[in-house]
Amino acid sequence: MEEVCSKPVLLLEGISKVYPGTVALENIHFEALPGEVHGLIGKNGAGKSTLVGILSGLVEPTSGTIMVNGRSFSSFSRSRAKREGISIVPQEPEIVLDLSVAENLFLGELENCSGFVSWSKIRADAQRILDRFGLDIGADLQARDLSLSERQILLILKACVVEDANVVVLDEASASLSRNDAAILKRIVGELRESGKAVLYISHHIDELLDICDRLTVLRDGRIVTTRTKNMLDHHSLAELIVGETLSSSGPERKEAGYIGEELLRLENLTRWGNFCNISFSLKKGEILGIAGLRGSGRTELLKAISGIEPADAGKIFFKDKRVSFSTPSEAIRMGVAYLPEDRETEGLIQTFSIRENLLLNSISRFSRNGFVLRREAGRRAEEIFAGVQIQAFSMEQSAEELSGGNKQKVVIGRIMANAPEVYLLDEPTRGVDIGAKRSILSIIHGPLRAASGVLLTSPGLDDLMDICDRILVLYKGNMVREYQQKDFDEKSLFMDVQGFGYQDQRGGDECRAV
Amino acid sequence: MSGSLKIKLTLLDNIIWLMLFLFFFACALGIPAFASWNNIVNILYHTTIMSMLVLAQGFVLLNGNFDLSIDAVLAFAPGVVILASTKWFPVALGNPYLAILLTLLLGGCIGFFNGYCVAKLGMNAFMQTLSLSIILRGMVLFLIPLSIFPLDPVYSFIGKARFSAVGNLPAAIPVTFTIYFLFHILLRHTVFGRNYLATGGNARASFVAGIDTSKMVITGFVIAGLLSAVAGMLTAGRQDSVSNTMGNGMTLLAFAGALLGGTSMSGGKGSAFGMLGGAILLGMFSNALNLLGVKVTLIHAAQGALIFVAILTDRFRISLRARLLRNEQLQKLKVAKG
Repeated sequence: MEEVCSKPVLLLEGISKVYPGTVALENIHFEALPGEVHGLIGKNGAGKSTLVGILSGLVEPTSGTIMVNGRSFSSFSRSRAKREGISIVPQEPEIVLDLSVAENLFLGELENCSGFVSWSKIRADAQRILDRFGLDIGADLQARDLSLSERQILLILKACVVEDANVVVLDEASASLSRNDAAILKRIVGELRESGKAVLYISHHIDELLDICDRLTVLRDGRIVTTRTKNMLDHHSLAELIVGETLSSSGPERKEAGYIGEELLRLENLTRWGNFCNISFSLKKGEILGIAGLRGSGRTELLKAISGIEPADAGKIFFKDKRVSFSTPSEAIRMGVAYLPEDRETEGLIQTFSIRENLLLNSISRFSRNGFVLRREAGRRAEEIFAGVQIQAFSMEQSAEELSGGNKQKVVIGRIMANAPEVYLLDEPTRGVDIGAKRSILSIIHGPLRAASGVLLTSPGLDDLMDICDRILVLYKGNMVREYQQKDFDEKSLFMDVQGFGYQDQRGGDECRAV
Repeated sequence: MSGSLKIKLTLLDNIIWLMLFLFFFACALGIPAFASWNNIVNILYHTTIMSMLVLAQGFVLLNGNFDLSIDAVLAFAPGVVILASTKWFPVALGNPYLAILLTLLLGGCIGFFNGYCVAKLGMNAFMQTLSLSIILRGMVLFLIPLSIFPLDPVYSFIGKARFSAVGNLPAAIPVTFTIYFLFHILLRHTVFGRNYLATGGNARASFVAGIDTSKMVITGFVIAGLLSAVAGMLTAGRQDSVSNTMGNGMTLLAFAGALLGGTSMSGGKGSAFGMLGGAILLGMFSNALNLLGVKVTLIHAAQGALIFVAILTDRFRISLRARLLRNEQLQKLKVAKG
């Protein structure tokens, strides 16, 4: 037994992945032993998602080998991964909404009774699994009727219990779980460990990792920093390994607050039922206002409401002291309010277009006469921005889909800059980009953007906000919890507010989302 | 980016014209009289109608939609207008210029109806245009006897007239080329064209970027209707009559032409220049088989095979393009390291 345990079920040797413009992973050596829960942590863009992509057979490594069960592969496909007993639980629960819970659970594993499906057996098996983990879900329920958290736990059960894999990869699987379901996840992981399976546990939460995992591997900038057993780590040392340098200086050099001018944007009791309610604040020229909040706190919906993409139900928006209510994004853009979408792939970029064409998307009518594009002037403007936001590419004619995440984001930022708007609504501009790109994006916001306009900013990381904002508003479940001035910034206190500690009891729950 | 890579990429992006020239030279060597002025004019003349439909279909495809009703519009628009101007209201609508205008108007209106249903009522483009296509085809069979002839020479001019001064060149050829040139300008050099392509490439992102995407979708269908009406006038002019079978079954071939020309089925990618190449290749292919004495029914099957080759070439082209760019990237990394 001892010998079996020391032999890794999964071994990555010298894995590298090169994208045009960036090296996502460089020479990765990684092993997962049977019966261990192996945590994987790193900042946004450290290479976690690329690594998961390679393990699941969705991303082909540029070089290196993958060893599973003692056999080595230089490339890996989705079906090969499955055959070798690797199960993946993705970040976003992807289930078939129109099928029942039982069928989703056994999807791809439907037992074959001479060509027919034995529904009674599947239903009974599914119900038994659900009951075993104390889930109050009927196996006959349609998957559409489940909550986000229940959908995620369903996928976890599928990967961990039904598929009987040797290696289970949980890719931020706990992010959308409710407190109760998170406890169930912990139980499932514990059972896997006891039965000698390897679990790869990816998360952003240090607490959770130190609680659940046996060993931890820290990734930074596409390289493995260290792999250590849990008892050699504590909160502080782990945080330092992740960040890579002393905690206080991860962003661009903090400059003196710039000139703060006249008021540009004012919200009075803005409400969108089910998303956020009674939000009031004002934004001045030369100011960067951060909005902190978890997913589902209403931060994205708030920016979308201001920009006219999903207009608010009640309350007032004033732009330069004039009441406005944008009902489409084109009205907002014409007035000088630009929105940077959270999801650059689906809402930000035209993938088939070249960089130049994407950069000019918002502003092309400014460089035209009688409907015809003035090529030279438009080209000059595009080149100006291309250099200004430092996009790394062969040329401006390269198509956007060939760029890395960080460079794609710079293209979208450049695109909205081209119109010289007065208010920027930036929804997670640093999400999923590498550390270098993140720094240059933050310094673009802190430099040229704030110089000429007011900026409203959300970010997945509190440190980003603390680095460049003048004020931070905290949203929790659609309510404004607190406003911080720059001198009061404190990561711990911000973190508590974002998590909603103390707020729920005080106000008696989430009135805004109850509608 | 190195110069040789640029040339390779340009060649890959215009692979349809490369295929067209190779095919032309192969035929010119193998088939006597293929490369003669008369035969080339013949090929182009026979391609004009299909070219209009390819452009109509391709234009809607650029926007990420389909139009299955273009061949029905081809028959319906001139059919109903000629019926009205000769049988129903010969006095009021007898003027041939008015008839041309009405044909275009009718085509445009049908396109608007399609576009409105798709963009504003949220109908699926496939279903909407399929249902309309069946309705229009049925109406044509119901209204129009086998054929109505002869037509006014003004009405049949673009389909039938030939310029004896320039080697008996049919008017349809310069008309087609001019329309393609105008669409090239429209797509490449106007604000509308860029916004239109952007909508096809990513409708959601375009909406967020402030483009009126439903206007783009409706305009796409209107233009497809207009071009189908032009194709209808070319057909009517050539046979000097309107008949109830004209254009039958051409919609799917129009898809083929657009795909051959490098138009993406998912929208946002393609050019008028490429579509013209695709349409001409289709025409040249059937002409060559004709000259070789292949049976008409078999030519149809062979055109199907050509479509298959086109799709295969496209996949090959995309993976080759990716590999070229990747090699360049790796080389750059090597230089940076060593």
